[in-house]
Amino acid sequence: MPTSINGILKALGDALGDRILQTGTLRPEKVLVQVDVGAHRDAIKVILKQDENAGVSAITGVDLGKTIKLLYHIRACNTIITMGVELPKENAKIESITDLISGANFHEREVSDLFGVTFEGHPNPKRLILPEDWPENVFPLRKDFTAPNFPSKTENSGALKDNEQVSGDDGLVKIVLGPQHPALIEPEKFILKVDGEIVKEVKPRIGYVHRGIEKAAESRTYLQDIYLVERICGICNACHAACFCQTVEAIMGVDAPPRARYLRTIILELNRIHSHMLLLGHAGFEIGYETLFHYMWRDRERILDIMEELTGNRIIASFITIGGVRRDLKEEMIPRIKVEMEALRERMKFYKEIFEDDSTIKMRTKNVGVLSKQDALKLCVVGPVARGSGVNMDVRRDEPYAAYNEIPFRVITYDDGDSWARLMVRLDEVVESANIIQYALEHLPGGPYRVRVPRIVPAGEAIGRVEAPRGELFYYVKSNGTAYPERVKVRTPTFANILAFVKIAEGINIADVPASFISLDPCFSCTDR
Amino acid sequence: MVKLSPILKEALIHLFKKPATRRYPEEKPKIPAGFRGKQIFDINLCIGCGLCSRDCPAKAIEMVEVDGKPRPLFHLDRCIFCYQCAESCPRNAIKSSETFELAATNKSDLIVKPKASGAAGACE
Amino acid sequence: MSLDSGFLFRVLIFPGFAFILFFTMFCDWVERKIEARMQNRMGPTYTGPVGILQPFADFVKLLTKEDIVPFNVKNFIFKLVPLLSFSIFVFAFVFLPIDGANAILNSNFEGDLILVLTLISIANFFLFLSGWSSTNPYSATSAARILTQFLGYDIPLFILALAPAFLARSLSILRIAASQPLPFALVIPWVFMLFIITLQAELEKDPFDIPHAETEIVGGYETEYTGRRLAFLKLAKDVQIVLGAAIAVELFLGGPYGPVFYGSPAFWYALWFMLKLLVVVVLTEYLTCVFARLRIDQVLVINWKVLLPLSLLSLVATVGLGLWLTR
Repeated sequence: MPTSINGILKALGDALGDRILQTGTLRPEKVLVQVDVGAHRDAIKVILKQDENAGVSAITGVDLGKTIKLLYHIRACNTIITMGVELPKENAKIESITDLISGANFHEREVSDLFGVTFEGHPNPKRLILPEDWPENVFPLRKDFTAPNFPSKTENSGALKDNEQVSGDDGLVKIVLGPQHPALIEPEKFILKVDGEIVKEVKPRIGYVHRGIEKAAESRTYLQDIYLVERICGICNACHAACFCQTVEAIMGVDAPPRARYLRTIILELNRIHSHMLLLGHAGFEIGYETLFHYMWRDRERILDIMEELTGNRIIASFITIGGVRRDLKEEMIPRIKVEMEALRERMKFYKEIFEDDSTIKMRTKNVGVLSKQDALKLCVVGPVARGSGVNMDVRRDEPYAAYNEIPFRVITYDDGDSWARLMVRLDEVVESANIIQYALEHLPGGPYRVRVPRIVPAGEAIGRVEAPRGELFYYVKSNGTAYPERVKVRTPTFANILAFVKIAEGINIADVPASFISLDPCFSCTDR
Repeated sequence: MVKLSPILKEALIHLFKKPATRRYPEEKPKIPAGFRGKQIFDINLCIGCGLCSRDCPAKAIEMVEVDGKPRPLFHLDRCIFCYQCAESCPRNAIKSSETFELAATNKSDLIVKPKASGAAGACE
Repeated sequence: MSLDSGFLFRVLIFPGFAFILFFTMFCDWVERKIEARMQNRMGPTYTGPVGILQPFADFVKLLTKEDIVPFNVKNFIFKLVPLLSFSIFVFAFVFLPIDGANAILNSNFEGDLILVLTLISIANFFLFLSGWSSTNPYSATSAARILTQFLGYDIPLFILALAPAFLARSLSILRIAASQPLPFALVIPWVFMLFIITLQAELEKDPFDIPHAETEIVGGYETEYTGRRLAFLKLAKDVQIVLGAAIAVELFLGGPYGPVFYGSPAFWYALWFMLKLLVVVVLTEYLTCVFARLRIDQVLVINWKVLLPLSLLSLVATVGLGLWLTR
């Protein structure tokens, strides 16, 4: 364990003494500290003193029958330290930590929606994921949940009315962006309060694409769950599969063979390339630049052709499985992929020139939607949104998985914090990914690409982190020794970035709102699961 | 001096290039081998273990009686073409094909029944 | 002029109404095909040979759709506007010499340049009314933007249009077109370039696309229109583009006048007119493809701080040049 984690543990031990009930490890080699109910705030204060840039990665709720366990996964010193608190089910109340770490806002609301835990002191304890007309006191992720008799939509139309009251009537015009809007690819609602042409306040309402995947994962076997979590998001599907398989392998104590790790890296980087190119083209379309959109997507087709040859389908890879990968890479494909990567690098040079020289693009994206480094750290944002504001974080370097500990690459950051910087981060990352794939192909080890694993996973729990194209993807899986998982928790990168929408939209021109939102790369299917 | 964006020249060059889009359905795309299209089921290799049906994530395979033995029936409208069935089959009775044009106007066209033995090879 | 069959032929068929209609659809096809080829895709392909029937097919399809008038709109204006703006644009064509003479013979007069430009402004105003009368927040935003944009850009348009008028010492379009031994685009190229930019803004094409920016305000002022009315509104937009290009051709490229090889001059004049118009259409379409869309405040900044002073300066330079040329 890194020395700073030991420092944190020592500081926690000193500060809390016997309010720490237990210290253990959460696989793979992460620290789990079980504290007493009232002590979690002091523990977080201690962690913040040791690492002031600590942020919340996720807050997981687990139903243990008579109690609900809350796991606070805090990202500090480039790794995750987890704090567990157990609450009795009948009286699940705990103090909120939103005043200590603002980024915990949405995580707490989600746990309260799905488990029924009340967070005292939360600034906005409203529903987050479930619809407004969901019956009270019915919590889907509890084990004793039975589907209630839902009232018909016409009877309950009063509850469905827009009750997101945005700070009273003060002469501001209310504009609703969504759920159906041409600027948004997927449905979410953003209520903007505008004064003339300036946006004063933004209230997001998410949950329109909630499909209950975490609950569905509990009634399918681990093998079937791979395909389920792949379909949380179409664009970053390989990352979800990789993270899930990584986490389950950690519970089993199984390591994928070296060739499989390299092949996983190749698929993950191909996924990243196609996702970034999709976004850059889409950003061009949003600001009215259709030509850029068509060129970028035409070049993206070549990547999809490689994925089709490698995995059997263009977008949904279904390539990664528990214990390795499902297919091998044929020898004759290697020179072809290398040629494509070289061509890709050339094209990216052309696009970089466009982004740097074209005056209309710069007029629309420079100094638009600025997120300062302070705000980025306070709101615990991840991925290119954070890297575009100068925060140097990347899971591939901080906690290498797959083959990243053996492949050299650069982490790209830009300091401007505006939409242009975020788009440039993604552009440069495409080139880096092409380099990573080339290196992986040249150093591909031989050997098996898969190990057989038992269908029944031994009891245990583990977390896994993967750098998806949109940021840090976090999984927590708990197994109880049967063929079905007990709890699968998914925290997607866009979920952590939703608060950034609110921050950058305040004070900008309403015409800049679509351009800013698209530079944050929202993937609302991921957000809502 | 304002540097001109390279797209000005690129757009003009493209006026004289062949389009990147294909005249589908007159021209069909070239599908690589190993593409996860419609399943080809060889009934002569099947031993009726039912692993394909158990492992299917979408519950798209139903075991039905053919000549007194259980054989899989594929519901292509539920199938997600993940090919976990092909992987789980201990006798390699399920193989992939390159057929992807599976749109149909009738739901019953998407149910692939196992043909009674005697006719080796694919079901329609 | 007598109301005989020759007159009816000229007004209704050629170079009148039917010619304008079919030529507009042809220009629409050219625009879409050029834009598609620049974006490395096919464009209209399947309807008719090389997709040339596509605009016609779109028009006919819209005519067959259901006509919905929302509940709260200002009924009379809502229903009148598409037809009215279309008619005004087509009417403005009467004053442009297409085959060497106007559609209605001898209808040209000193000052019909001012009349045509005013008609364009009025028709633009009616497009604003279409957005304003469909009481819908997206249409209202678009209507406000269209008003801001064209009111601003009309002024440089007028000023720049006066430059060739000065060189030709006349305000009649027929005479301006006829007095160009060398096209004015070569004599006063700076005015031509500024005129093309102003034309982009008048015709609401990228980078001045903001009034009907699909990604922000759905359909803009077209949002509430369906069926026949939408067909005519779209047609009005297309005729506006052809009209703008036609004015550019008349003022700067020598109108229909060009070398006559054999046979009737009217045929050659019409041919030159169409070719020159296609050149201008392709030029504006190229500019559309290579730029992103600017925000409304940036559009206004470009107008008041850049285009207006430049157009005044270029008018002064043109007057100086004109006086020097005829000293």
